[in-house]
Amino acid sequence: MKNEHLTEETLQAFLLKETQEDGIATHLLACENCRARFENYQHLVAEIQKIAPETFSFDVTTVVMDKIVSYERKESSKQELILWGVLILLLLVILGFSLPFVPQIFSIFSAMPLFSNFLLFGTSIFVLVFLIADIYKAHKIEEKKIFGNNLQPTIHLPVQ
Amino acid sequence: MGNENNHFSDRELIAKILGGNTQAFAVVVKDTEKLVTQIVRKMTTNADDQKDLVQNIYLKAYQNLSSFQLKSKLSTWIGNIAYNTTVNYLQKQKIPILELDTKLETKFALTENPESEAIRAETLEIIQAEIDKLPPLYKTLITLYHLEELPNKEIAAITNLPEGTIKSYLARARKILKDNIRYF
Repeated sequence: MKNEHLTEETLQAFLLKETQEDGIATHLLACENCRARFENYQHLVAEIQKIAPETFSFDVTTVVMDKIVSYERKESSKQELILWGVLILLLLVILGFSLPFVPQIFSIFSAMPLFSNFLLFGTSIFVLVFLIADIYKAHKIEEKKIFGNNLQPTIHLPVQ
Repeated sequence: MGNENNHFSDRELIAKILGGNTQAFAVVVKDTEKLVTQIVRKMTTNADDQKDLVQNIYLKAYQNLSSFQLKSKLSTWIGNIAYNTTVNYLQKQKIPILELDTKLETKFALTENPESEAIRAETLEIIQAEIDKLPPLYKTLITLYHLEELPNKEIAAITNLPEGTIKSYLARARKILKDNIRYF
């Protein structure tokens, strides 16, 4: 070992404590050439560790969350479009099938007293308005949860 | 233990995001932006492209979050997405990630014990400049190992390279830096 110089890899591995061979330390004490190279690596690594981490001129979280929110909005409108398409199609199918029965349905209502008709339609409209309002409210809550205040994290991770 | 805690937090966080809480993804970004910044900044130089790259990296992570199986730390997984996305970008730009710039043979001489603040700052500038001359992959590996202080195993998971290759590349990169910077 004393006659042959240590390789660059061995010097680095010893410096970074990736190898603990006793012979390396002994050789470094005896060999001026290897000691000088080892010290150069020591200085180099020490200096590298002092370099401040690089940053961007923009705020990463803001830029990323803008992109995520716009992606979510696009996805949400795509889903909404599909939902409306399916609903309209369903309505058309129902209308198509019920068309032959319209005179019969109409005859049922015309046979009923005016008050019963009023009560029936009034209740139906009330239930329909209530359901639409409830769906709209749920949709607004969900929308706020997804898009509201996305730039500031609200969850705090436990300190480790 | 720390790793288990990390995984537990990662699991909770992912569950929240997948449950529809998009805000929780900002926590993931905050936790990993330093690592992603180092990878993108070390491998690319165009500021406009860097912004697009960062957005694409996190969008990919967001879109594929449901496929993340917690086999590694969430930060390692995002680091891997960052590395792959950046390598793809470099390939499209036909920029080699492992080619040495042979024109640069300047050797800087630095004092071993820089005393004044000015000399210290200059020393760091010279080393930074020398690191910047390295091929993108070497720069990234030096940064991940020495600045981010990641173990070789984690760097291997980020770069999809065997640990032995990483050790060898790091040794070569350090040798280039040592040879280009002379201490007196």
